[in-house]
Amino acid sequence: MWPTAVVQGGRSAWKGPFFVAFPNLKHALENNIAIKTQARACTILPNFIGIRFMVHNGKDYIPVTVTQDMVGHKLGEFAITRKRFTYKQTKNK
Amino acid sequence: MHILGVLLPDNQLVKHALTHFYGIGKKTSQRLCARVQIHDRCRMRNLNQSQVTALTAFLSSPANSPPVAPHVLAAPTYVPPPLSQPVPQPEVAPPVDRLREIKIESDLRRQMRENIAHQRMIGSYVGRRHAMHLPVRGQNTQSNARTARKLNRVERYN
Repeated sequence: MWPTAVVQGGRSAWKGPFFVAFPNLKHALENNIAIKTQARACTILPNFIGIRFMVHNGKDYIPVTVTQDMVGHKLGEFAITRKRFTYKQTKNK
Repeated sequence: MHILGVLLPDNQLVKHALTHFYGIGKKTSQRLCARVQIHDRCRMRNLNQSQVTALTAFLSSPANSPPVAPHVLAAPTYVPPPLSQPVPQPEVAPPVDRLREIKIESDLRRQMRENIAHQRMIGSYVGRRHAMHLPVRGQNTQSNARTARKLNRVERYN
């Protein structure tokens, strides 16, 4: 009846959030260097705030600047993986 | 009968009629009936004035409703003290009362709109899909996606 699963995101509480320990976090924050990563499943932690990430979308790296409101979401939510279909007229029939 | 502006049919069981509220389903409705002491087979037309008042008072502000005293069961090894001494009261933290945390009607709709607006503001995939009127959770869009086209908006109302 009560939606505990929604609160915990379907993950056991004892595991805590999944995240990747970026070794260059402090350095990146001080020098405003973008961290290039493919870890789309990494949860955004409070100490990521203000850091610029380049998140892989399967093809290239999309810039994502982490703000306060993004905490708790995943990095991959901010780098879309799909391209909008556009019709291109063929030249030779 | 109207409670908080919602029409509850007179001939229905109370536990079914309460599901006319946005945000109250079968289970919540049963617990709500138990909380305000309305029996299982009671119909809306059989409610007396005090029961209607109790329901209205609870639903108008569930968070401010009076807390329920916890009923602690004795352990099998419990030995009651002799009659001459006062009965010690066990010290237990009251369980979280989830029924007081429910949101109904406009509160719930506002919460939903705020959640979507939050997703849209931070620019996540969920927010984008809402803004594009498309399914959010990976459903197919080659055909139909009718419910999403109808409902998914940034300013969503139902």
